Amino acid sequence: MILLKLISWPYVRQHLPRWLLTIAGIVLGVAVFVGIHTANQSVVYAFRQTVDHIAGSTQLQISAGETGFDENVLDRVQAVPEVRVAVPVIEAVVGTGVQGQGNLLILGVDMTGDRSLRDYDLESSDPNSSDDIDDPLVFLAQPDSLMITDTYARENHLGPGAKVPMSTMDGQKLFTIRGVMKSGGLTSAFGGNLAVMDVYAAQKVFGRGRKFDRIDLAVKDGASLQDVKVNLQALLGRGFQVQVPSARAQQFDSISRVYITTANVSSVFALFIGMFIIYNTFQIAVTQRRAEIGILRALGATRAQIRTLFLGESVVAGLFGSVLGLLAGIVIARGMTGYIGSLLGEIYGIAQKADEISTDPSLMTFAVVLGVITSVIAAIIPARSAAGVDPVQALQKGKYQQLSAGENRVRRMAALVVAIAAVACLLLERYRIFFYVGDALALLSALLLTPTLALLLARVLRPLLRWLRPVEGTLAADSLLQAPRRTSGAVAALMLSLALVIALGGMTRASYDSIYRWLTVALNPDLYVSPSQSLTQRDFRFPESMGAQLGAIPGVGEVQLVRDARTEIQGKPTMFVAADVADLRRHATLPPIAGNTEEMFRRAAQGKAVLASENFAMLRGFKLGDVVDIPSPSGMLHLPIAGIVTDYSDEQGSLLVDRSLYKRYWNDNTVNIFRIYLAPGAAEADVKRRILERFGNQRRLFVLTNREVRRYILRLTDQWFGITYVQIAVAVLVAMLGIVNTLTVSITDRRRELGVLQAVGGLRNQVRGTIWLEALAVGAVGLILGLAFGSLQLYYSLHNEAIDIAGVQLRYEYPYLVALWLVPGILFVAFLSAIWPAETAVRGSLVEALEYE
Amino acid sequence: MTRWNKLAAVSVLFTSVVLAQDARQIIAESENRSRSKSQQYEGTLEVIGTSNKVSIKRWEYRRIGSFGASKAILRFTAPAEVKGVAVLIVNHTDRASDQWMWTPAIERDRRIAAQDRSTRFFGTDFSFEDLEERDVDQFDYRFAGEDTVDGAACWKIESKPRQSKSSQYTSSMVWVRKDYYVAAQIEAYSKDKLVRRIHYSDVQNVGGIWTPRNVEVFDANRKSRTVLKLEKLEYNVPMKDEDFTLEALRRG
Repeated sequence: MILLKLISWPYVRQHLPRWLLTIAGIVLGVAVFVGIHTANQSVVYAFRQTVDHIAGSTQLQISAGETGFDENVLDRVQAVPEVRVAVPVIEAVVGTGVQGQGNLLILGVDMTGDRSLRDYDLESSDPNSSDDIDDPLVFLAQPDSLMITDTYARENHLGPGAKVPMSTMDGQKLFTIRGVMKSGGLTSAFGGNLAVMDVYAAQKVFGRGRKFDRIDLAVKDGASLQDVKVNLQALLGRGFQVQVPSARAQQFDSISRVYITTANVSSVFALFIGMFIIYNTFQIAVTQRRAEIGILRALGATRAQIRTLFLGESVVAGLFGSVLGLLAGIVIARGMTGYIGSLLGEIYGIAQKADEISTDPSLMTFAVVLGVITSVIAAIIPARSAAGVDPVQALQKGKYQQLSAGENRVRRMAALVVAIAAVACLLLERYRIFFYVGDALALLSALLLTPTLALLLARVLRPLLRWLRPVEGTLAADSLLQAPRRTSGAVAALMLSLALVIALGGMTRASYDSIYRWLTVALNPDLYVSPSQSLTQRDFRFPESMGAQLGAIPGVGEVQLVRDARTEIQGKPTMFVAADVADLRRHATLPPIAGNTEEMFRRAAQGKAVLASENFAMLRGFKLGDVVDIPSPSGMLHLPIAGIVTDYSDEQGSLLVDRSLYKRYWNDNTVNIFRIYLAPGAAEADVKRRILERFGNQRRLFVLTNREVRRYILRLTDQWFGITYVQIAVAVLVAMLGIVNTLTVSITDRRRELGVLQAVGGLRNQVRGTIWLEALAVGAVGLILGLAFGSLQLYYSLHNEAIDIAGVQLRYEYPYLVALWLVPGILFVAFLSAIWPAETAVRGSLVEALEYE
Repeated sequence: MTRWNKLAAVSVLFTSVVLAQDARQIIAESENRSRSKSQQYEGTLEVIGTSNKVSIKRWEYRRIGSFGASKAILRFTAPAEVKGVAVLIVNHTDRASDQWMWTPAIERDRRIAAQDRSTRFFGTDFSFEDLEERDVDQFDYRFAGEDTVDGAACWKIESKPRQSKSSQYTSSMVWVRKDYYVAAQIEAYSKDKLVRRIHYSDVQNVGGIWTPRNVEVFDANRKSRTVLKLEKLEYNVPMKDEDFTLEALRRG
């Protein structure tokens, strides 16, 4: 502690800007980590809160995925002796015409019994009355009845009797407020944007037929919850999920797994790169403070004390950086929560409303610990170097302790061994563990080789720099060659950042190409008729009879009825698509990934098999011919996979079955989307207009052209890759910090040299030019190594994406365009990074510079 | 009509015999005297909140069958917002009744689950359970003394649902008028706490059956009252069984 105060603190004060730059790496890493995690957590927390508040005193919930189930299931559940109360529920998110208020979560309940589970503490229109609702009979008798929360009422100046416009299956309708709920548990669900209506009215409004989404229940006093759960599961069969309410929130985690994993990579990567900046700074500090270290050693300080001193500094730097990062992270989270919430809502169709951020103390603590650990790890090697300083050499003024040739040789040998091990792992990549170990070894090998390769490239660049500017170029190149330790950290950071950019760029490109190919070849209907603008929202459904009505419209050649819903397969939510397979066959143009086209469509059309998407097969470990156990409300279906096809409908994978099979087992003939092929010669705009004219006034529907659907999916893809762009921005920013850091140190190191240069007649512009060229050289070296290592990293990323994240085999295609953009981009960034250090160098006092050291 | 109303509809024939009867026999006799093949009336329902805000509804009531095994349909006629809403009650001698509600605006019927019977009947101070008729044998009785209600001499009888029968009430105290064998008052308790008090008045002889034409329910928790007035009351009117089915409920 005393050493920290006497030795470290004066050094930090003297080099404050550099220290700030050093901790900037940690700040950035922790900020991104905390920001993304807090934003994610806030969205998940908002969903959990909504689930909890809506659940009330519900102990168990019964559902059958998103498909819903017949009303008679309720009677069977209510007849179980241990069940105290069981009530039906329909949940839907609808748009309202109330300006600026967004969506409203509608909870359809049976008010005759629901109060046993949920507390509807209502405000009375008559302040002296204890009547909790104006008239419960009117509420039930009139299907336009709505109860809203007092928050919603207050914000929109609504009261009993007021009308609220709302989207229904029959178009926009006015609903009458017949009750206002006082603030309390239930009312805070979905950020207060909650309305309650009669469950049977909700069936009609949302086109659910005679089905419920869910049954909420509570057990009798003294009955064991676990026993009741087991009994109900046995009674209803595996097609139903009997779960505690919190399990719904776990489903959200499961569904958004891919997104969360991607987000985690960003933050960990930022910290990883930050580690190299810290390493660089500490390594330089050791070099600069060798005299100080020499004196301490001469005065009797042990090697352990010197090591502890540097590690102590790293703890303080890590702590300081982490706390700053924490604060910055909260600011980032505030900005991102709404964005992530709406993105997840749109992609996964899950209702939540995240307005507020929720900070988790354990996450904050973890982030600080992570920041400090990162800082300490980065300082281990420099601290060891510091402890190894020879006091005699250190006290000889102006003499640098060079990296020994032996050390370089050892490192090169180690890199070679590690590279061979990485190649060996590559041969065994079918075993996950070897694949990931191989990736880590390839990274380690690249890092071990970085100083040698950087030196080699600096030598190659020397003639070029000399040719560009004979004096400045030579000085800049020599600076790199004489002090490789000074630049190796920055080069490594830059290399890693650019490798990430290449990997992400390559993955994005390959994903876009695949999605685009699927969009243009497989998704070929001319028009789509959907009950919502977002194709992922499945709250509203059409009746089957509408298919024939659409078919009768002039210009409509063929109508395909599609019903998709998420259901649980192997305990994981899986998208289930039901359509007339024979119809699909007529328009299928994309060859299957596995299976015989004719055979697979024939068997699927007969209801004897399913078609699995590539990502379903890959992520769940299914092969052609494997049997999938599909739970349905009417019992288990055991169907073999007849074909594996390209389908990006859902990230977790999808299964396609024939509609007749779905109707039989799910007893559901509703439709989510009508896919329409035009008759020859029919004009798309005319048919769209006719559909809208025919149904526009009767039903809530959107007619989307193929172009609009493609645009919509590409927009979602863009939004999805938004997180990738954040990763790229972080990577470039960290790389920039690395260059600024290196140059700042370089200038400080060469202050005397630069002072001499000016004293013997060197112009300020020449000094500037030297530093600019040095920056460009660091940028160029990092660029070359990054683009090369990126090609390897892209391979690993694509494979990782295939086996563990998206389950899709993407084509390896080096993103030359991205690489081409990076060349001027990084050189420009390097130049920008050099401006401030260069100005510092030329504006400093010449006398001071010559007196330096 | 309601269980309470049926009790109240009993008339006295042989007062002298009563002294010798036990509590169960009094209730059974009361039930016997209210027995009819059918019943119909038009009811006016006044719900009076704690601030004396009054809401009025009207319904038509038709019942077929004998006490405990009867079927009844109650159809709202006013105000306009609730017109056509109907409830079908099918009573059973050995178990709780089955009840369905019909909502014409959405053309849907819904089953009122047994678990929901303790909830208020459409904002009135009656509960769904209060609409049921229950057989004498579904309860145990205890003679609790004598009293007067509105000046009429009454027997006080405590009734408790038998273990196997579910009821929101753990016990009820019934005041049965000695003159007509009609209930004058009922207090229903849940774990010794008063839940509802039902007061019967304006007892008239209609077609040979003594029936209170005025029923007032007091909800002890909410401190609100509901008054039901029976008009155009008739007994033993010809009715058909097929008019008391789910299809009939939907037909309106």
